[in-house]
Amino acid sequence: MDFTLTDEQEMVRETARSLFARECTADFLRAAWDDPSSAAVLWDKQLSGWMELAAGDVVDLMLFVEEHGRAVAPGAFFASLLAAQVAAAAGRELAGSASVAVAGADGLWIPHEGATKHFVPSAAEVDEIVVVGGSPEAPTVALVPAARVARVPVDQMDGLRRQFRVDVSGVEAGEPVDPATWRHAVERALVTCAAELIGVGRWLLDASVEYAKERVQFGRPIGSFQGLQWELVDAALELERAAAAVSYAAMCVDADDADRHRAVHGAKAEAGLAARACARTGLQVHGGIGYTWEHDLHFRLRRAYAGDAFMGPSGYHHDRLAELLFDERHGP
Amino acid sequence: MRLSFSAEDEAFRDQLVAFIHEHCPPEAYGGRDFIGSDPSGPDDGTRIPDWARDWQAALFDHGWMIPSNPAALGGRDATPTQTLIYLEELAARGISRSVHFVGYAIVGPSLLEFGSEEQKALAPAAIRGDTVWCAGMSEPNAGSDLANLSTRAIEDGDHFVVNGQKVWTSYAMAASRCFCYVRTDPDAPKHKGISALIIDMDSPGVEVRPLRDMTGRTEFAEVFLTDVVVPKSNLVGERNDGWRITMGALGHERGGLWVEGVAGCQRAVDDIIAMIQRRGRGKDPVVRRRLAELYSQVRGLRALGYKGFASFARGSSAPEHSFMKLATSELRRTLCEAAMDLQGAALAVTDPEVSEERGRWQEAFFGLLAGTIGGGTSEIQRNVIAQRVLGLPRGR
Repeated sequence: MDFTLTDEQEMVRETARSLFARECTADFLRAAWDDPSSAAVLWDKQLSGWMELAAGDVVDLMLFVEEHGRAVAPGAFFASLLAAQVAAAAGRELAGSASVAVAGADGLWIPHEGATKHFVPSAAEVDEIVVVGGSPEAPTVALVPAARVARVPVDQMDGLRRQFRVDVSGVEAGEPVDPATWRHAVERALVTCAAELIGVGRWLLDASVEYAKERVQFGRPIGSFQGLQWELVDAALELERAAAAVSYAAMCVDADDADRHRAVHGAKAEAGLAARACARTGLQVHGGIGYTWEHDLHFRLRRAYAGDAFMGPSGYHHDRLAELLFDERHGP
Repeated sequence: MRLSFSAEDEAFRDQLVAFIHEHCPPEAYGGRDFIGSDPSGPDDGTRIPDWARDWQAALFDHGWMIPSNPAALGGRDATPTQTLIYLEELAARGISRSVHFVGYAIVGPSLLEFGSEEQKALAPAAIRGDTVWCAGMSEPNAGSDLANLSTRAIEDGDHFVVNGQKVWTSYAMAASRCFCYVRTDPDAPKHKGISALIIDMDSPGVEVRPLRDMTGRTEFAEVFLTDVVVPKSNLVGERNDGWRITMGALGHERGGLWVEGVAGCQRAVDDIIAMIQRRGRGKDPVVRRRLAELYSQVRGLRALGYKGFASFARGSSAPEHSFMKLATSELRRTLCEAAMDLQGAALAVTDPEVSEERGRWQEAFFGLLAGTIGGGTSEIQRNVIAQRVLGLPRGR
């Protein structure tokens, strides 16, 4: 197992980091919070050109999306990446930006015939909706213009990625998709989500370490206090462990490795828990200033918790992993 | 990033596995360093079992003791990736290379890096296990604060006279030599007055008092040094420059240990899952979720070790590896606790007639309790990570 990045992969990461640092300023995030349509410029001018990532290696996608998470970027790009991977399972390509309507009221990506789909991200900002129906054994996928379905906003903690309840009752049955192909698409989407959470955690940890070095109380930087140092070390360990798990899962999916199902569920769970730990610790390190609206921390804290819940929270993925370990496992 | 190894590296693995099948004695599959494990010998840590001597010598002679070394030092010029494969194959089987890690893992590398030509010549026997070494580091007032050590070496003509006390000295009863840290300049700042000496354990004035540990075994000892005469030629490296060697020694100790730590976690979690199935608890949702959480952590740490290795193999520093000793020692302890908790009220029972698990988890748990103390406590690990990895300011 070799985690060495190629020069091209290093470049993907560097390019993404500078792109998001340039575009996702504090003002840009606040404007998007107040009016999501103001983020459309990011999709139009920059990110629509990066959609080919959705069809390529998950490792490359992961590197790019991690930086997207660090910047807590708003807009249609993230939903479109998920949508493109689901559409690809049915051999379809997106015409523009898109989102995925699949989840039931429990938020899980389990295909069902119900006309109401829940937790559809960025549904008001996209051109198309990928509608998943059928059943887990016989999923179907249809691609429809977003304007053809009713999209009802549901208030969320993460206002930079609003989620919608979508009524798909008027949509004709989609094309059948092989269940294994569907599962593969879901696994790619899960790694995408996990990668974003790692980026969110990285921003929270880095910002907290920097703040701890600068903030002086009792005559010295608070980062010199052992109690605070250990909190940060434990958060850093959780994040590094999760980041490695996500990289491993990405490699497994790309290689179609036998360990990929276990690796993907583990990665999503670990990434969610790690991002949450970095958010809690990060807020604690920042103290009062971190609790203000003015500070950028709360955007990441929101994304950490909402991202953990999206496509099923860590407990759900641990339970799926347990099925693989206890019910399907024959030897290590 | 890729999952698989090259054909050349896989051939290396095949050669190793063939060697193990041909030469490895059943006793070496113990998964731990333990001198007194020879059932025919006295359980006081005073002798190295014959099988262990033969096994370590066979590893050395066939170039499998430290594969990255040249042949004269028990290796075969293996690449970093091949060394990783080597450590993994051993760890996955729970195979110990040696019953005394101090010689090959700490003293050998330190002599080769800092020793005179004459001292370097002692390294092959240390690595082959022909000479048993102990390391005189901790003292009653110098544990985590190692630089506070107060064992004095006073210059007198062509020798030093050493007085002081060492403690937690592993294998001191069996050792013929001690790689000993002493204070040569009491007036200098504490890190700048330390030197390293080679002390013959049969020198007059060396007294070893075995210490029984909480498991009941006798693996380490107190070493009292009274007017011990040590030739000046036994000084390793520059005088008062010993602190630099201690840093290297701890580095050597930590180098590939993450592989064994991860393998220990993996063996434990696989074993617990099998135990749960055996005991018919495999449908309990609380048990299932807990094990999945632990399993995820084990797999995450395994990946983190590899990620650090990718930097290490390219010659960069690997901050990831700073986390590994801390994380694997704590997780192994947690896994043992989880296994004991599954036994309910029988948690405390070790009687093989009563407990299905025959006390093996309890025994492992007591052994692993040393893992978060020895080689730098978890607390020291956290301080070091805070300062060297996160770059936080040193506390007062």
